[in-house]
Amino acid sequence: MVKIAPEELKTIAKYIHDICGIDYDHSKAYLFETRLGPLLEEEGFKSYLDLYHKAKRDPKKDLEKRIIDAISTNETLFFRDTAPFELIQHKILPDLIDLRSAKSSGILSIPVNIWSAACSTGQEVYSIAIVLKELLPDAKKYRIKLLGTDISDAAVAQASYGKYNKFEIERGLDRDKLQRYFSPNGDTWKIKDEIRAMATFRKLNLMLPFNGLGKFDIVLCRNVAIYFSQEDRKKLFERIANILAPDGYLIIGSTETLTGVCPRFVPKRHMRSIFYQLKTD
Amino acid sequence: MNNLKVLVVDDDPVTLVLLDKKVRRAGYEVKTAKNGVEAIDCLSKQHYDVVVTDLMMPGGVDGIGVLEAVKEKSSQTEVILITAYASVDTAIKAMKKGASDYLQKPINFDELILRLEKISTMKSLVKNASDLRDAMDVTESHAAETIQELELLVSTLEEKVAQASEILTRKGIDPPTRVNIALDVLNTT
Repeated sequence: MVKIAPEELKTIAKYIHDICGIDYDHSKAYLFETRLGPLLEEEGFKSYLDLYHKAKRDPKKDLEKRIIDAISTNETLFFRDTAPFELIQHKILPDLIDLRSAKSSGILSIPVNIWSAACSTGQEVYSIAIVLKELLPDAKKYRIKLLGTDISDAAVAQASYGKYNKFEIERGLDRDKLQRYFSPNGDTWKIKDEIRAMATFRKLNLMLPFNGLGKFDIVLCRNVAIYFSQEDRKKLFERIANILAPDGYLIIGSTETLTGVCPRFVPKRHMRSIFYQLKTD
Repeated sequence: MNNLKVLVVDDDPVTLVLLDKKVRRAGYEVKTAKNGVEAIDCLSKQHYDVVVTDLMMPGGVDGIGVLEAVKEKSSQTEVILITAYASVDTAIKAMKKGASDYLQKPINFDELILRLEKISTMKSLVKNASDLRDAMDVTESHAAETIQELELLVSTLEEKVAQASEILTRKGIDPPTRVNIALDVLNTT
């Protein structure tokens, strides 16, 4: 593995921050080496600065995309830590549908807009789709928009394709859900069309303005802000507050906090989970 | 981790004895089956980490049949097919169905043992990763509980402070009364 030189660290760290917002401090040289080292060797670069200069000069940004794919963490699984999905199923969706039904007077279909802000390879989005499918069998009554976004092209591509290997599929899914919502194909499993059709995926950099995303009733932004600096976190949750419906719900990672990050949100408890809503005053 | 449980399946008694001997000598636990039907019977009784099976076997259940039975039962079990030169295409089709590897006849036993070692290494890496994840889950859920308690506590305290400062700056009430009301607000639990 090519070692990263101390004088390269600052430039590379800043570059990574510029292209995807990830804030790796200078003590984490090993992270650059383990994640970018293979790309360096593959492309035959002698140093991390060579990689950087080439990526900066590439007008098609192919190398930049590959750097993002390599540097971002795609740790995810179906129904990751279960609590948020139970929260959505037993509290948020029923409440939301009550509120929206009252407004829609029964003639129009009820809109439900959900956004997974860092969807990685799609497991979180499909887990929500499964919850929706099971909770709302009469899909015609609702206009569901389920959007998954991620910074990594490779992650978005896999999410869109909805295909998982046997290690990915076994994490978090019970046999019953697996059989019901996935089709086997050799050693891999593909999400069934009825679930796939509920979701859309696209690439999005959370550091940039959310133009044209629309408003959301439920936003999941779990385990991604942890990679950002405190300053960037503040900006991110401020933007999320702006695209959240006034009575919408925000779910963050189970070990994350908004204390000192965004005063517009107030934490609320349901059973063993916490969700956030906008302060009303 | 060298204690893989291996099921070897071959209708040729000489090959079966050889397979049994070589794999056992390499330190793995071995069970033999004379044909596909017997293999399926073994699979129903016990879990195997690896199944090494001949592709062409008489008696209704061939290597593909064994593969399908294995995958039906557990995706954790790896399958290595043994195939004659002429049936390489079939072997490749089998790999698309989830076989992890194939060996051509005549069997090179060193090669077979290398494949088993690779599977053994892979399985221990997977075990390792899953242990790490379990450890992370435990840590994460402990941390989550603490953080969520604190998050709610901070939010309640902020609310109290806001109320208290609103009272303290309120006009029309004399200062000592304001202080008393503010203290009441701060002291309520």
